Amino acid sequence: MNAPYPDETLLRRFEPVLRCTKGDRFFPIDVEPYVQACSLWAQRPGEEPVRVVPSGELTLETLPQQPLDGSGAVHFLKFTDPQNLPEGESRGVGALRERAVRGLRETRKAFRAGRGRLARVGYVSRFVDALYSITLLARGRVPGEAAGMAAVAYRRAMEERECYAYHGRVTRQEGWTVLQYWLFYPFNDWRSGFFGANDHEADWEKVHVYLAAAEDGEMRPEWVAYASHNYAGDNLRRRWDDPEVEKVGEHPVVYVAAGSHASYYAPGEYLTELDLPLPRPLARFFRGARGFWRERLGQYAGAAGVAAPFHIPFVDYARGDGLAIGEGGDRAWDSPRVISEPAPAWVSGYRGLWGLYARDPFEGEDAPAGPMYNRDKTVARAWYDPVGWAGLDKVPTPAEAAAAALGRREDLETRREELRTEIGEKANRLRKLGAEAAAVRGRSHLDARGRETKRHIAELSEELGRLRARLAADEAVSGSLSEYAGRMEAGERGPARAHISRAHRPASETELRFSRVAEAWAAVSVSLMLVIFVAIAIFEQVHLISMLVVSIAFFAFAEAAFRGRLVNLVGSVNIVLAAGASLVLLYEFFWPLVVAAVLVVSLYVLWDNLRELRR
Amino acid sequence: MAGVRLAGREQGRPDPVATSRRPVRAIGLMLMLEAAGSLAFGAYELLRVDWRRIVSMRTLPSRDVIETLALLMFAPAVVLTLLAALGLLLLRRRGWLLAAISQGMAVATGLWLYATYEPLYVYPIMAYAVLMILYLNVHDVRAVFYPGDQKRGPRRMS
Repeated sequence: MNAPYPDETLLRRFEPVLRCTKGDRFFPIDVEPYVQACSLWAQRPGEEPVRVVPSGELTLETLPQQPLDGSGAVHFLKFTDPQNLPEGESRGVGALRERAVRGLRETRKAFRAGRGRLARVGYVSRFVDALYSITLLARGRVPGEAAGMAAVAYRRAMEERECYAYHGRVTRQEGWTVLQYWLFYPFNDWRSGFFGANDHEADWEKVHVYLAAAEDGEMRPEWVAYASHNYAGDNLRRRWDDPEVEKVGEHPVVYVAAGSHASYYAPGEYLTELDLPLPRPLARFFRGARGFWRERLGQYAGAAGVAAPFHIPFVDYARGDGLAIGEGGDRAWDSPRVISEPAPAWVSGYRGLWGLYARDPFEGEDAPAGPMYNRDKTVARAWYDPVGWAGLDKVPTPAEAAAAALGRREDLETRREELRTEIGEKANRLRKLGAEAAAVRGRSHLDARGRETKRHIAELSEELGRLRARLAADEAVSGSLSEYAGRMEAGERGPARAHISRAHRPASETELRFSRVAEAWAAVSVSLMLVIFVAIAIFEQVHLISMLVVSIAFFAFAEAAFRGRLVNLVGSVNIVLAAGASLVLLYEFFWPLVVAAVLVVSLYVLWDNLRELRR
Repeated sequence: MAGVRLAGREQGRPDPVATSRRPVRAIGLMLMLEAAGSLAFGAYELLRVDWRRIVSMRTLPSRDVIETLALLMFAPAVVLTLLAALGLLLLRRRGWLLAAISQGMAVATGLWLYATYEPLYVYPIMAYAVLMILYLNVHDVRAVFYPGDQKRGPRRMS
């Protein structure tokens, strides 16, 4: 696996520099010792999971065998199985818990969360978050002591041989040479260690560097894409010369989020939200209403989407103040584990999960599949289409950019020729039809034919208009393409960030300077509101509705004031009040309002006509 | 432009004041008109009542008097409207918020009075306040005061 490959040179040349966050306990390792430390399990539908290979007996070669396979079966590894602990280690649950707590304490000591995630998001989100946390009790999840056990196992392995490694793959697609750096972490302790969404055994992350051959044959880095949760597409990608891409020599710097191991371009704290979408018909209704409100009435409708009004907030702490791995860092990379073509059996043959299968319906607590597969055993896009995964499939390499533009111009030229011919034919036909219409005009026995001819003329005329518009647009595009090709040939490059529609940015200094009162409010408000509701229901049944309205108004205003959203709240409340008042007015003065509306319309028409007369 | 500023405006943006002074001033004047009208109407109604006779009476005052007294409930909204009008005429960013709160208060008070005493004067007050709310909420007007509302929110995790 460590034999020198030509690809290895490329991988080493551009291997990333990882800057982790203080408090993070897991770093990228080679999968081989991990697999050896794991046991392999099979879970068939409706049955209890069965251990098919005990720990210590599993190797990368035997991993793909997957015994007890069958329809609906899930194979998974177990890294933190108490039965895996070697002789001499304490096996008591109490001892494990104690060790987990000790590990967590160490993490918390090294890591300060700063401003809480709940203080950064709305009241509803905090309420939904509380419900989401409660569902963890019912959902399948990684046991509490798992992170501690994984940390112990990981530390033991590192003590035997300290090693920081990535698995590298070089693949070529559509003119691009893609360097894929697959980073394997033995555990994701985002939830238990860093107030995140989930914990799971094993974590596969990836960093892609896209190279293109220059005219002199030299491979030049053009783009990079860092994986971050399940995102894909243009927003993941940065051009190599983008100032946001920090580099040490030719090595891109990756800021790794604590626990989740999501990768970011800049150090900071990133607010990430889990969307809980509305049911589809409701979302459609709200979308329509919002469109009418904004487009037809010209009213302010906010920037947020309506399809997912509830969000559970999580913060990714990618501070870069922890261990640095790679060029110029605290630790150096071990020699790359190259995934050559065809892919080794442990990559292509093992379709199971790389850690505990917690049977979580949201999948957040289930371990991920390997680099080649998704959890449902389908092939992952990042594997078979790494160029498309980062939205690069529409971008020609610099060497091909001018040719691509000229090629497109040629296509358009061909189409323009075809269009011109078609327009000529149709214009000729239209003229003939015009002559026919003129010839039959005023002849009563040809009235029916005349009507039909007119209809044909109208249709043909409309079609001709469309074709001419397309021809004109094609001509403009063709000119633009020529100019673009010229610029590309001259070595010019467009703006580096034009492709990014929503860049993920860390929280600003101002946002981080949130008052302690606001944090305290965020922490207690949900519980306080529920307690007050219960108190009102018990002690103030006579004024139940009014008291509830008053308390909700109080919480809403306090919340909005803390979060600087008073303007939005006042706007929304006003709209509701205005709607209520409008209904009252409509109910009380329906006919006078109808008469007034007619009068207004008639006055407007009169004014408009008089204005026309004056011109 | 000297002496005119929009508090909280960020640097580098086109000056919203220069492009949108007229509608903002118009809202200011309309609010001033509303406050003046409300004050005049309130003063007229309150002066119409013979308070000495009512005080000397031992029975409950008539419904008309109660409705007139209820007018006082609009006092906070009128004061805020006045402040908002001044704020808008001076093109202060907080003017919008004050105006929105004052109009919301006027409508809420009107709705409450409609549900309890149903005095006739609540209808014009509510109608005027509703129109003001809609005008204040017009996208372009709002954007003058809060250009940041156009910004996108944080990216979401799927």
